[in-house]
Amino acid sequence: MDAVVTAEDLRKRFPRKRVGQRRWFPWGRRGNGRPGDTGRSGNGGTGSDGGNGGTNASAATKAANASNGDDGDWIVAVDGVSFTVQRGEIFGLLGPNGAGKSTTIRMLSTLLEPSSGTATICGWDVRRDPMQARARLGVVLAGDRSLYWKLSGRENLEFFATLYHVPPGEVTWRVNRVLERMELADRADELVERYSTGMKQRLSLARALLADPPVLLLDEPTLGLDPQSARNLRELILELKREGRAILLTTHYMEEADYLCDRVAIIDHGTIIAMDSPAALKRRLPHERVFRLELKETNGALRIKDRVPGLTVVDERRDEATGTVHVALTLADPQRDLAALWTGLAQSGASVLNYSVQEPTLEDVFISMTGRALRD
Amino acid sequence: MIEGGGNTRAQKVGGLRNNLRAAYAEMKRDWAVHLRYPAELAGLVVWPVLFPAIYVFSARTLAGPDGESVAVFASRAGTADYVGYILFGSMLWMILNMTLWDLGGHLRREQMRGTLEVSWTTPTSRMALLVGASMAQITKSALFLVMAALMLQLVYGFRLQGSVGLLLVLMVLSILPVIGLGLVFASLVVWLKEVNSMVFLVRGIFMVFCGITYPVEVLPGWMQAISAYLPLTYAIRSMRAVGLAGAGWADVRSDALALMVFAAAFLVVGWLSFRAVERMAARAGTLAHF
Repeated sequence: MDAVVTAEDLRKRFPRKRVGQRRWFPWGRRGNGRPGDTGRSGNGGTGSDGGNGGTNASAATKAANASNGDDGDWIVAVDGVSFTVQRGEIFGLLGPNGAGKSTTIRMLSTLLEPSSGTATICGWDVRRDPMQARARLGVVLAGDRSLYWKLSGRENLEFFATLYHVPPGEVTWRVNRVLERMELADRADELVERYSTGMKQRLSLARALLADPPVLLLDEPTLGLDPQSARNLRELILELKREGRAILLTTHYMEEADYLCDRVAIIDHGTIIAMDSPAALKRRLPHERVFRLELKETNGALRIKDRVPGLTVVDERRDEATGTVHVALTLADPQRDLAALWTGLAQSGASVLNYSVQEPTLEDVFISMTGRALRD
Repeated sequence: MIEGGGNTRAQKVGGLRNNLRAAYAEMKRDWAVHLRYPAELAGLVVWPVLFPAIYVFSARTLAGPDGESVAVFASRAGTADYVGYILFGSMLWMILNMTLWDLGGHLRREQMRGTLEVSWTTPTSRMALLVGASMAQITKSALFLVMAALMLQLVYGFRLQGSVGLLLVLMVLSILPVIGLGLVFASLVVWLKEVNSMVFLVRGIFMVFCGITYPVEVLPGWMQAISAYLPLTYAIRSMRAVGLAGAGWADVRSDALALMVFAAAFLVVGWLSFRAVERMAARAGTLAHF
């Protein structure tokens, strides 16, 4: 196998900024009295951690912050992330919002400078040789705002083809090829502002392919798309993988990561907490099955958590239209806890309308490792 | 190629030719977006007429019913053509204003639009992109001046006196330091996230100190000292000398040299500011902040 993307012990931290912290006058206060304030507005990028170097209270606050990815005057967004991506592989960074996925992508795409660690694209260091790295990258950033809405799709691609240094004689041909491939040829001469979100996302992917890059960085590629558009885009991503490209994608959709990725790194608070194929990750929960119940409450209160000691609620949704509750839960010892579950449900006055037992998902893996759901 | 599974060697990266092509593409792109807003083009025709009108009519009032005060004006300004005098000052001030808004807000607009980051992930030099934006600004300024000259001739009966070639040279020399200032603005705005208050402050200073509608000599001494450090002072003075009094190169050489020094200094400061902001953005991640 041929590693074309490497990240080794990548770390990125940002200076913390709080409202009211800026000191406008020499005699003005800098801190705002919140926990974690150190009495300094920053350390000027010297690399030393914040803190007022004295009180027990601030030391305790720092310790508490550190466990949340905070580091005094600094916010640690990515903390010691290492991975490789091979040719013909889709590697997913999976985690909740703010976990550090986009920061990692931005470091690899040379938009952000790592605080420490190294990253290479096809052997080129993103810090020392950013131009060489960029020439081998196709990047799709999250959202549909990365296009010129007042230009047509074709005008956008012709402009970016020049920025990717595509030879002048090849620009028209390449633009036509990617337009056809993304099924945008018939709308190519319309202004992008008239495109649907799905079309804009496909145009962004078309732009990323203009230079025929061996590496694609896709930041939340299906965010905001309707199910059909998302499905089509996923098929396109699989096609690109089959062509031998290395694809690094971030997502917080577990099903998407499960479907697309050969390997997944689960990232939380800037740290990779697990990395393997989706199947292997799910096998880490060998004794767990997810019990999914559809309940009709009769007395308006479910208290099964209190009644079954080994029970963990994974998901609970109330459907106001039908008056039912959908609950997904795991049992530490199904043989022991199942009887207690039925008894608990009966005592809560809930009747079971539907019941199924399923294999765990990546979301279940995430919950078991962090104690939180992805959307928390 | 497209279905080839990715070209690990990639195209030839960088190079002056590729970056010049990219700068030209950026200029074309800027113009294409500009032309999709027809109201802005209407402004190009209306504004040069409306803006100086307030000063022209004020001057006409002060001149008296038979222009009896014009002689006093001529003794201070060196010309009795107060309309032309005001027009040169106001046109150059408007170019400064346009540049501060357009070029000064360029990076910020790209940032808000979401296109700045994605342009910066391409192998094109970021400076080349800014050069492209500057080229767009220079061509817009030139078009503005041509349109303004035509409109002013039509509405105010304004007639140029001196060499058009020399005026063009002075115009380029006048625009370059303004472009440098625009680059400083463009960089600062990415940092400070706010363009309005900075534009109001700077254009106000230039308006008062550079003699837009009056000779700098009427200012108090300390204000004259400040005006000596502003390029627009030299731009307005030299272009008035050529356009109104038919002065030649020898008459405006010292002003032209001053403009060259200003152009070099401001462009270097603009470039340094951009590099500083580029570095800051890479370290602090501020491109994603609004």
